[in-house]
Amino acid sequence: MEISHKAISDGVVVVTPVGKLNMVHAHHLREEVDAILAKGQNRIVVDLTNVEFLDSSGLGALIGCLKAARQANGNLRIASPTEQVKLVLQLTNLDRVLTPYTSVESAYVIE
Amino acid sequence: MNAKSHTLLIDTPPDTLDAVHKLLRAIWDSSPEVDIQDQMRFETALIELASNIFRHADSGSGVSCSLSVHISSDKIEASLRDTGEPGDIEIVDVQMPDVLAESGRGLALISALMDEFTYERIDNHNVWHIAKKTSRS
Repeated sequence: MEISHKAISDGVVVVTPVGKLNMVHAHHLREEVDAILAKGQNRIVVDLTNVEFLDSSGLGALIGCLKAARQANGNLRIASPTEQVKLVLQLTNLDRVLTPYTSVESAYVIE
Repeated sequence: MNAKSHTLLIDTPPDTLDAVHKLLRAIWDSSPEVDIQDQMRFETALIELASNIFRHADSGSGVSCSLSVHISSDKIEASLRDTGEPGDIEIVDVQMPDVLAESGRGLALISALMDEFTYERIDNHNVWHIAKKTSRS
């Protein structure tokens, strides 16, 4: 899995994982988000457009990142999930705390 | 449609979840009649189960797992038999943990995805079975 991040307007940072967010790779997401929070940037969008597969380890990492962002007085949102990711979020009821936004741009438009 | 079976022997390490994804890609290619939603649900459950088995490989000298996938006219199912430590597992009525928990969703997710999910300890092996009724007529 590859992962990168980029600051967009209003101090929002977009994190873009590419590939499978599973047992093997989930910790990379947490490390990336921790590094961003450590720099004082606390409004994060995880762009899931290119996450082709998510399992419960990946979900755990997303929840861990959400909690870390909240602890840093910020927030973490997710954007553009694929069908498989939406299915997993719904079945685990996590769409209640990680509401999928249709795009990165819409995730922080309304505060 | 004729029933089809596929088998794979996995030794971890060095094999990874990619071996399971690869097998499923070959299966879906050869069984295009399986509905895409069923494919997605089955793959999600099987990878979750394989992850669970592989995770318990980390604590010892590795795990061997034989996986067979069977597609018939109304059902897709997988059986896995592994050499890992006995699981302390109760599959009946598995609950999702609190929404902010960072682990503990794997078995509950498999239950939610599948119509059948069983675990037995037989002859020093863990034996798992998952099945999903297929949507096509």
